[in-house]
Amino acid sequence: MSLHKDDGIVLFKRAYGESDRIVRIFTLTSGKIGAIAKGASKSQKRFMNTLEPFNHIAVEYFEKYGKGMVRIENAHVVEANAGIEKTLRKVCTASFFTEFADRLTKEREKNTSLFYLLKEVLTRIKDVEFDYRDILYYELSMLECLGYMPNFTTCVYCGKAMANENRLYFSSERGGILCPRCSRFIPHKTYPDEVIATLAGLKNGHPRPVPAADGEENRSVAPYDVGDGVFERSAREIMEGFVSFHLDVEFKSYRVLKSVIR
Amino acid sequence: MYYPAPIERLIENLSKLPGIGRKTATRLAFYLLNAKETYVADLSKSLVEIKEKIRLCSVCFNITDVDPCAICTDERRSKSTICVVEESSHMMVIESANPGMYRYHILHGVINPIEGIGPDEVRIKELRERVIREGIGEIIIATNPNIEGNTTAHYIAEMLQDLNVTITRIASGIPIGGDIVYIDPLTIKSSIDNRRDL
Repeated sequence: MSLHKDDGIVLFKRAYGESDRIVRIFTLTSGKIGAIAKGASKSQKRFMNTLEPFNHIAVEYFEKYGKGMVRIENAHVVEANAGIEKTLRKVCTASFFTEFADRLTKEREKNTSLFYLLKEVLTRIKDVEFDYRDILYYELSMLECLGYMPNFTTCVYCGKAMANENRLYFSSERGGILCPRCSRFIPHKTYPDEVIATLAGLKNGHPRPVPAADGEENRSVAPYDVGDGVFERSAREIMEGFVSFHLDVEFKSYRVLKSVIR
Repeated sequence: MYYPAPIERLIENLSKLPGIGRKTATRLAFYLLNAKETYVADLSKSLVEIKEKIRLCSVCFNITDVDPCAICTDERRSKSTICVVEESSHMMVIESANPGMYRYHILHGVINPIEGIGPDEVRIKELRERVIREGIGEIIIATNPNIEGNTTAHYIAEMLQDLNVTITRIASGIPIGGDIVYIDPLTIKSSIDNRRDL
């Protein structure tokens, strides 16, 4: 049995038995861990307010080799989730991203960039109400961290660079765009060029959400050339098709989030 | 190990109860086998009754055997204040500390998007209808002070903001008899933010 100290973001909690709590934490050095906190629902001392979703915590845990779940010995809050609960949209957005990290990572797979990205998302949600494009930006960033990024720049079948096309063909199965020739024999859907260009721009961080300066009203991303309605509808269709085909995951929080941002 | 079929069936059914394994179930089955017949008949009748007679009160959604429940028909309770709680068990705790004071509204859950529970899955719409119907003057939101409870409280406040109703939230801070030295910073902050005049 050994004692570990780490930083982590609480992804999920569930009551277990009379007073215990099961949590999943995305840690900085060990990736996702499943943990049990004995007496967490009763303890006034060790875990009160700590093991709540979206909290960045410093955690000490015992690991018994051969056992999947670790036992949390001690934890304290580094950065609290306070403020996220003030609107339903913020909670749903934060829930979506924590579930995204939770469902798409395996236990004990270290991913430092994902840890910092998740921390950035949760910190920003406290200050800004995300619109769909903010969500999309961070969703693409997370996919990139996890190695699932769709290809928006070259034909996924023949590798041809795509430029100056009015309409582009996206294949969920292949995970990216197709050139007109390859689109003849690979199942796809057709989208306006601006939609794909915007997605590619988001992927490359342009335009990316802008942090508000002191005294300014918080604002997120710059406007796009394509109409909001067309872009959102198309982007949702592309992302939902891609995620459901490649990752075979249905996010519970996404269903609630969609009903909030519609 | 071989047991006659009825005992085996009883062990199977008892071991489905939370916290009861096969060993405990076997012990309970043999206890019931040796118990008085009247006790076993009473027990089985009670089990059937809770499924047949217990339902939700159509006003507050508390569990009850009569509709409306005894709390909703209690004339001594304040008619203008409703205490909103997550579960019936939470209501019992508040009721034991403030017997006969409030009427309640049981949400049967809290908003928890990670578990796929949105506002439509808890009884917030019914609360709004009740506030309008009964002309309620104050809502005390007594959900747990965690992320789900706070989210639900904020959402309820938002849903009722256009109505002429005072919305209050139970205080969170240092427990009676507690020691400041051992209280976590968030609780201290909350207790300072929510301080009151003496």
